[in-house]
Amino acid sequence: MKIPYSLRVLRRPAPEDTVTDSFGKFISEVKPQHLSSVVLHRSKRMVLDSIGVGVIGSTTDVFELALQHCQHMYAPDDISSVYGRRGTRLSPTLAAFVNGVATHSMDFDDTWHPATHPSGAVLPAVLALSDMMSANSKPSGLDFLLAFNIGIEIQGRLMRFSNEAHNIPKRFHPPSVVGTMGSAAACARLLSLDPSQCSHALAIATSLSGAPMANAATQSKPLHIGNASRLGLEAALLASRGLEASSLVLDAVTGVAGFNAFYEDYVPQPLELSNDDGHMFLLEEQDMAFKRFPAHLGMHWVADAAASVHKILVGFGPGTVCPAQVQDILLRVPKSKYINRPFPDSEHEARHSFQFNACSALLDGEVTVQSFTPAALRRPDLLALLSRVRMEHPQDNPANFNSMYGEVQVTLVGGDILKGHCDTFYGHWRNPLTNESLRKKFRNNAGAVLPSEKVERLIDVVEELDRLGDCRALLSQLQ
Amino acid sequence: MLRKGITESFGAAIHALNTTQLTDGVINRSKRMMLDTLGVGLLGTRTAVFNKALAYSQLFTSHESSSVWGKSEITLPPHYAAFVNGIAVHSMDFDDTWHPATHPSGAVLPALLALAETLPSQPSGLDLLLAFNVGIEVQGRLMRFSREAYNIPERFHPPSVVGVMGSAAASAKLLGLSPAQCTNALAIAASSAGAPLANAATQTKPLHIGNAARRGLEAAQLAQRGLEGNPAILDVNCGFGVYYKDYSPSAMAVSASSDFKWILEDQDVAFKRIPAHLGMHWVVDAALAARAKLENSVRNFDLSQIRHVTLRVPPSKYVDCPFPATEHQARHSFQFNASCALLDNKVTVSSFSEAQINRPALKELLSKVEVETPKDNLPSFDKMYCEVEMETDQGQRYVARCDTFYGHWRKPLSQKDLVEKFSVNASSVLCTEGVEGVIDVTGNIERVRECSILGSYLRMTSSQHEQLYSTRSL
Repeated sequence: MKIPYSLRVLRRPAPEDTVTDSFGKFISEVKPQHLSSVVLHRSKRMVLDSIGVGVIGSTTDVFELALQHCQHMYAPDDISSVYGRRGTRLSPTLAAFVNGVATHSMDFDDTWHPATHPSGAVLPAVLALSDMMSANSKPSGLDFLLAFNIGIEIQGRLMRFSNEAHNIPKRFHPPSVVGTMGSAAACARLLSLDPSQCSHALAIATSLSGAPMANAATQSKPLHIGNASRLGLEAALLASRGLEASSLVLDAVTGVAGFNAFYEDYVPQPLELSNDDGHMFLLEEQDMAFKRFPAHLGMHWVADAAASVHKILVGFGPGTVCPAQVQDILLRVPKSKYINRPFPDSEHEARHSFQFNACSALLDGEVTVQSFTPAALRRPDLLALLSRVRMEHPQDNPANFNSMYGEVQVTLVGGDILKGHCDTFYGHWRNPLTNESLRKKFRNNAGAVLPSEKVERLIDVVEELDRLGDCRALLSQLQ
Repeated sequence: MLRKGITESFGAAIHALNTTQLTDGVINRSKRMMLDTLGVGLLGTRTAVFNKALAYSQLFTSHESSSVWGKSEITLPPHYAAFVNGIAVHSMDFDDTWHPATHPSGAVLPALLALAETLPSQPSGLDLLLAFNVGIEVQGRLMRFSREAYNIPERFHPPSVVGVMGSAAASAKLLGLSPAQCTNALAIAASSAGAPLANAATQTKPLHIGNAARRGLEAAQLAQRGLEGNPAILDVNCGFGVYYKDYSPSAMAVSASSDFKWILEDQDVAFKRIPAHLGMHWVVDAALAARAKLENSVRNFDLSQIRHVTLRVPPSKYVDCPFPATEHQARHSFQFNASCALLDNKVTVSSFSEAQINRPALKELLSKVEVETPKDNLPSFDKMYCEVEMETDQGQRYVARCDTFYGHWRKPLSQKDLVEKFSVNASSVLCTEGVEGVIDVTGNIERVRECSILGSYLRMTSSQHEQLYSTRSL
């Protein structure tokens, strides 16, 4: 029987019922006291590391290109600082863009589980927006840190809507999907948007999300993070001007894809703020990985495994590893096309090559920033080793940063077989960098560009961030 | 990895295509597209979404700036001029539609005009025409890589997928980039593609076209600076293929010396008579015809005599909206457009104002409307139909069906009606000299020495503050 429309009960979901609105409400209403001491501590480490990799990233070609593009296309704008470039300022979204590019330019930035690079999409936008706010209404350090954590939290929540997100990506580059959303959320908070505007900021950002994996391992990849940061800020600014978008963007509506367009499986959950003063930020349950060298996270397993073989080899004979000793190198790694590159052609490809990183670590005992220079890429010893590499993808080695391992098996010319195995590299969330190691990385990175007084001041300011009355102390040290 | 070289063939083709390969057919059709796009864009500069985008865009300044259509005093950095003008074009869903489905011109023309204004050496009208057609052709080619593209979309909004690629291609052409740079422009643009459909029928939808124009232009300029992306972006599934469930790309072969078969030559666009989703045009024509039947047979016809209305339409969730609350929803509602046609005997630009949407008589009629999706009604702009059946209190039934509305590519708008649509739209913003200037320049674009003259006409606003635009329907 056909039911006439007049009799059909047309139920529009009440605002509290939709996932989209629950996110808007959370962004607008979560309070600084909801940040636990663990979350404060972990997020400050992320802020420090992100600034460090951003500053050293300002020495790369891709950063220079992005900066010149912005400076050429737009008039100078004395608003938001550019990492590592004294006196250079741009419009807020452009500063967010170039600083985001810098952060991801060397693939040196933090990685989470499910996989994404959360900080680079959020911090540049929050910094740029803070620079934009008038002198007598700058956010306090705590407000700043809260906005940052909201940006991280939103990303984590969104990734948990699908099983697909838990594995190394194949289709869309995660920072381009959730990063834009995180940036929009953080900026919406900093702009003090109301719950409805926060929801619209997310919805506007959704139309700006999503870049294909094919551009990973190319010079364009850093722009994914730069654009996530920039466009998330833009979405929040447009929402603050009253632009409206879909009110069901995070909910799954059949026949009309919203945020679920980016995933094969998608089950959204509302984000509830509990009535008592507690909210469990995901960062409390799931810590961050910080990289020890500038390459895709997967490389860290094989590098550690290969480094242990290097140690044994160097113990055998003279202090260096000689390719002539090596007959065969077998890598047992997860199956993932975009990090399986036998002969990388560029620094970008090298950062995404199991083979390259294993051989570098085998030769040198470690992989460092210097391992990816043009000269290092062309070393005859390295090329010789590369030609002897075979790959295996064992069934028990899933393409998942929480469960994978890396194994390097070297067969020497004499017949001896040496094996290195790594389940958890140092820097992984299960074996986090000590504060000492994190600061050392920061000093190496930031110190390559900034004078040491600024470097030390940054360390102190970030440590004190949640107690700072005014975040200008941070904003003024970045260049 | 086996390289199929498809992306590189596109880069080479964009570079190689030249003005001698433009045929009369393609020139004629693309000039009509340009005129229509400018008209709907000018009208669109009076919308709320355009104003919000303009206010935002004025945060940015640059040394070289480009015109904002319909504004005599305001200019913007080229990217943002492309952005706001693109938004204007799509702001009322009044712009052209192609098959497979997308709105091709709005993603390309704003970018080209903004770019042209900043080039040290002013492009000719023919250069502009060529670049425009390159941008359209690339979109058409990309859509033919998947079967999914042939149906009304469900996942990604097509202009956000192919539009940015078209803009990148067109901009690369106008910039005279090398084949390798053209390839990189496409690769860079692919990372800016893909907005989900959920924002259709909202105020944000026009930004899909605005962003396609802007970010395609940006991609070309980044490529010009030497930025590189994946040179196999169109070849691989994890590249451009991520936007489609089925994906089967093929190369684009162009020889600079021989004829080129433009897709536009085989497949024309549809121009809209109503500022609403294309599907609405079928249901409106059917409703008008059914109403005429009713009027002819019943003296003193009165709408309250209608007991029930059935719409037989293709299945498409995002245009099935029984009680639209906003203008954006109303433009994407079979029910609303049919009811409007029945109530007013016409659907025009002014049918979508807040006052009109909230009319009690309209709402009452809407409550009597039901939608059916017959199995033989396919969700494709090439194959769909709409049927409207009214049942009166007396039990009489009046049915009419529309297979091809006037304006569809199978029944194109006459040149007279196309120019009339433009004049009505443009007159809401420009003075007569501006209106006639645009018609004249666009009509003779292939003979125009410097296409910047178009920009000057687009800025010739009327001196009157209040614009009364005609509600004549075509």
